[in-house]
Amino acid sequence: MNYLTIIIGHIGGTLLLLVRSLKFLPTLPRQFARFMEQCYLIGYTSLPIVTILSFFIGSVLALQSGYSMENFGAKQFIGTLVGLTMARELGPVMVAILIAGRVGSAITAELASMKVYQEIDALTTMNIPPERMLVLPRLAAIVVMMPVLAIIANLCGWYGGALVCQYTHSISVDSEAYFTALKAYMKRSDVTDGLIKAEVFGFVIILVCCYIGLNTRGGPREIGASVTKAVVTSLILILVLDYFVTKALLMS
Amino acid sequence: MNNTSQSIRVGLFFLLGLALAWITFESLNGGRLFKKPGYTLVAGFANLKGLKTGDEVRMAGVKVGAVGITRLAGHRVEAVIDVEPGVQIPTDAVASVEQSSLLGSNYLGVTFGTPGGPLLKDGDEIKTKPTVDMSEVISQLGNLGSKLEQVVGDIGKSMGGGGGENGNIFQRLDKLVTDNGPKLTATISNLEDITAKIKNGDGTFGKLVNDPKLHDELLASVGEIKLAAADARTFMSDTKGIVADVKSGKGALGVLLYDQSTADNLKMSVANVRSVSDKIAKGEGTLGRLLADDGLYKDAQATLKKADRALDGLGEQGPITAVGVVANALF
Repeated sequence: MNYLTIIIGHIGGTLLLLVRSLKFLPTLPRQFARFMEQCYLIGYTSLPIVTILSFFIGSVLALQSGYSMENFGAKQFIGTLVGLTMARELGPVMVAILIAGRVGSAITAELASMKVYQEIDALTTMNIPPERMLVLPRLAAIVVMMPVLAIIANLCGWYGGALVCQYTHSISVDSEAYFTALKAYMKRSDVTDGLIKAEVFGFVIILVCCYIGLNTRGGPREIGASVTKAVVTSLILILVLDYFVTKALLMS
Repeated sequence: MNNTSQSIRVGLFFLLGLALAWITFESLNGGRLFKKPGYTLVAGFANLKGLKTGDEVRMAGVKVGAVGITRLAGHRVEAVIDVEPGVQIPTDAVASVEQSSLLGSNYLGVTFGTPGGPLLKDGDEIKTKPTVDMSEVISQLGNLGSKLEQVVGDIGKSMGGGGGENGNIFQRLDKLVTDNGPKLTATISNLEDITAKIKNGDGTFGKLVNDPKLHDELLASVGEIKLAAADARTFMSDTKGIVADVKSGKGALGVLLYDQSTADNLKMSVANVRSVSDKIAKGEGTLGRLLADDGLYKDAQATLKKADRALDGLGEQGPITAVGVVANALF
């Protein structure tokens, strides 16, 4: 019972953090430089790893589906399978996991150290709410950057799949047939659904990581513990939310 | 790193994302982000068969637009088509839902219609025709199957069941075979004998079948017969030519047969010959006398004897000259 109240308390704390941050939304133009810095750290520097990772996810997807779909003689639908999977599921989820590991951990570590070394307290004393200066720019940056990363991941995955299909001897579906199959059964809504999912995941990751970082108490050891907690919580939330968001999007 | 270059990079990155998103949306079937100004038509169907927004509208296989929205309208469904500008569709063009592959993926096919006819305008309704889809074909196949089953059942009944006056076909066949069993056996054993003989080379037929020499000879004789027949043919044609010549009065025989004057001449000559021979027989004239009077014969004999003697004398005189010969002959 105690455990449950702790969880509910964390959920409430996170939501309060969100509300307090959004209250400072009108101040965003004044911290444009800070927003740009966060965009750079979250989006631009994540580009190489997102590209490489999604390219190989698409390739492996094509390879595996080519191997298994050969049994049904349905190789010409590899394009559809890779396209839909990347756009609807793997693109957003993999980018979210990457962001959780690469950006979320960094945010938690930064905020946790600031908290542990009482920089947050100093800010509060100077009447600078940490939500305004630390949380809001990061949330705004992830909202802007996450769809960009997700669409890049989609396209890289698609092209990775196309390359594998064309140059793997046992599959040998040329890229024209691959993209024809991809276009034939995909709608714009498939891609937008994926982008919506990525947006939700990114927002939740940053929010949770900020919350955990700001709520760190103790010393350097607790900083590490907070980072671990933040990443694990982010991953769990990504996969749990994935189910519900997907279901909601499919029903709409 | 200064803030300006950071901002530039983030800006470029964001613009790249927007461009990629735009390309993706543009190339997928969800219609266009920026619609070209074309015109729309309405096509009413009894069944749309899964035609959906964004499917192509093709005129003779060429894309001329896309399906905008599909909606239910009373007892039919309507597809609103966005036709590209500049594409002219006559009023008598007919639209139908076509399948581009067996596994779904439909498009709306539009026929050419009459060229130069009145054209459809924005908001007009295009004529449609229903098309047969796979499920209908399969259900018709099912009907066909049940009919086939019926027919096969009838055949089976007439063969196996029934049991009329003479029983069924198989019973009758059975009876025929059992009744004629010994005869059939005898026939088969005779056949066996014959085939065995042929195999062993007995009899003409067997030799013909088994002996290659006989076969060669037969071939040779047939060749000879052919040659002979060819000769006979040339002979016949020659004869024909001769007969024709004779008929047309050419050549001696023809003249003889067909020319009256020659015949008269011939008769006259025969009569002359007869009169001459009569005279000879009677001893008239030189020839007659030669034949009938032996005095002339004796004179001739005497002369010959003299000549003989003179020749003997010549032989004894040794070498002779031409003058000597002439002189001896004269005296």
